[in-house]
Amino acid sequence: MPDGLRDLLHDAAVLHSFVDFIGEYCKEQERSQTYIDASGLFFKYVEELTAGIKLELRNEVDRAARFPNRLPVLRRNMLTLKYYLRLLHTLIKPAADAHTLTIPGPLIDLAGKQLRGVKGMSSSKIVILLTPEFMYFQRPHTHVKEQARLVETFVPQATFPPKLGFIELPYSQGPSFFTNLAVYHEIGHFVYEELSSLNPPYPDFVALRSATTGSLSRIFRDRQVLALAVKIVQNWTQEIFCDLFAIRLLGPAFSFALVEILSMLGFLSSKLSVKFNPTHPASACRFAEHVNMLTADSWMEAIKDIKSEQKKLLEAFAMIPRSRYNFYLDDTTRGPQALVNAFLDSVIPAIRKLVHELTPESNFAVRRFGRVRHDIEECLKVGVVPIMQHSNSPDPVSLINSAFCFYLTSLPEVITNFEGPGADRDVDIYSKWTRRLEMWTMKAIEDSQIQDRYRRLKRTVSWSFQKKKS
Amino acid sequence: MVLSKKEILRRMQLAVSDDSNLVITPLIYANENDIFDSDSVDLRLGCHFLLPKTLDQPFFSPDRSSATSLHVRVHVPLGQFLVVPAHQTILGATLEFIRLPSDVSGQILTKSSVARTFIVVETAPWIHPQYRGCLTLEIANVSNTPVLLYPGRLICQLILMRIAPMQPDSNNPDSQSNGDSTTTKPDKNYFGPVYPEAPKFEDPQDDLLRIGVTGVSGFKRIKRYPTKKGWRESKPEP
Repeated sequence: MPDGLRDLLHDAAVLHSFVDFIGEYCKEQERSQTYIDASGLFFKYVEELTAGIKLELRNEVDRAARFPNRLPVLRRNMLTLKYYLRLLHTLIKPAADAHTLTIPGPLIDLAGKQLRGVKGMSSSKIVILLTPEFMYFQRPHTHVKEQARLVETFVPQATFPPKLGFIELPYSQGPSFFTNLAVYHEIGHFVYEELSSLNPPYPDFVALRSATTGSLSRIFRDRQVLALAVKIVQNWTQEIFCDLFAIRLLGPAFSFALVEILSMLGFLSSKLSVKFNPTHPASACRFAEHVNMLTADSWMEAIKDIKSEQKKLLEAFAMIPRSRYNFYLDDTTRGPQALVNAFLDSVIPAIRKLVHELTPESNFAVRRFGRVRHDIEECLKVGVVPIMQHSNSPDPVSLINSAFCFYLTSLPEVITNFEGPGADRDVDIYSKWTRRLEMWTMKAIEDSQIQDRYRRLKRTVSWSFQKKKS
Repeated sequence: MVLSKKEILRRMQLAVSDDSNLVITPLIYANENDIFDSDSVDLRLGCHFLLPKTLDQPFFSPDRSSATSLHVRVHVPLGQFLVVPAHQTILGATLEFIRLPSDVSGQILTKSSVARTFIVVETAPWIHPQYRGCLTLEIANVSNTPVLLYPGRLICQLILMRIAPMQPDSNNPDSQSNGDSTTTKPDKNYFGPVYPEAPKFEDPQDDLLRIGVTGVSGFKRIKRYPTKKGWRESKPEP
């Protein structure tokens, strides 16, 4: 046996057991649980990859025995494989945990459908991961895809699915509905990552980049400082982009959900809400942009009668003058205020333009909401899932916004009506009814998806029937 | 009096705030006759199921812990199927969410074509006025062959009956009069479910105490713990 071959054989055997386990694990999970399409696609890829790796490992050892001078190449390939598998390893278990009983499936389906309606994202899919962290997060995927392409050169049996994104939900929020609307923000990160790295670049992303570098280069002359400033402003840009993107797809329900989450995380104190840090803009700045966008899209007018704390909070934050915003590099070190000003004056207008360019008009959504809101609220008031009939079924965005408005304003009334006076002050009962409301909303979305699928099928059948006839 | 198709459709057109309104949603059909008969409406099987779990006890005791101890939840999306083994039972639910009017009771029956495969859909078929929710179906395969169930297919039929008018009950503060009938408020335990629901019981001691029975014999749950040689029962408490 040539020098080094035994080592290679040992390494290959260890790797073989490793990928064998991963492949079997994915198969086992798919057998025992139901997953959304994107997760199924991801598991299929992993299964094909692991089968391909096992085959290639056998071939490589054969090749090495015949051509000992190939040993260094084979070793390099093995290293690439190990690194890539380490990346995949962190995705597989959280994806396996996120089956349809632990995530809000209808909401994720809806978000995926809306995502595919965004310019340049037509075939995108989102894999949901459950994380032990109490946060929503989009796993950056560009690096994973680069490594996948590298691996494909010597394991050609599996191709990484194009435009596949990974979004983490906190496991505790898995089946809940209202807080999980935050997933739209993370989808914004996915869109940003996909479209900002296009070649040739998207014109509005070029404009956004120019606005950032142009405004900052006037303030910071030192190259290193400028690079750091650009990095920080890019972080803020993404956050505002994602918020506005989510609002365009979802309307005010997203803002209300974000208020709930930030409040749960304790980020809405008066001191923290005006503080920019290197990764996030101040909550007050974010909410000011929410209110701007909601006003421009006529949503604020449509929900002007809502008298909830969340809406008041949103408006109060939006009213905070920008002079009170401050920027801290860490807990104690203050950063240059000029960075915040440049961001507000030059970059935010470019973000708004980009979001408008990418997302569909929201006028129809607002009008539809106005038309169906009363009917939806009437159903919820009597403890009924919003009704889906053949004609005039409410659309999912109207459903979500109406249900959220109802949750913020009318839930105590329903509790009192069914449970008796004073029951709305009982935390257990309140929580139980919140859960019910979420289930009914989710059921209505699921029903609307079933109706939608049926309508599409009916159109196809009638079209092919007419074609046959003619 | 059994409600006719015309009456069912009429009540479905009423506003939801009206006590006489009937809700069945979503109704999916190409043709009304696909799901309506002259005196009934067919309902579809939903996508969620509760399958019996292997218990850690040698028996099942209907008590407080039963809701979580007896079943394991399963989701079968439209387009896939669930196998019900021979002589096995599962809990499913209708795809449709229903709300009965205050003057109407309902009954669920297995669709005759389904019944002829020896799938029995309901053993507690009565639905009280004002019930709302997806109906939990106790599905039993009483045949000698495993049978496939496809969510979304028609599985049972709902028959609706108008209840005779009564006078308001002065002794029951929960009772409400809606003109010609008296109704009680809907059951809060099973209010508005959208998935099959596990049974909810009080502990037998509490239940029987209400009728004056004390000293109800209980049983000790067997606690098992792992040892080097396998699982062992814990020592009985003194």
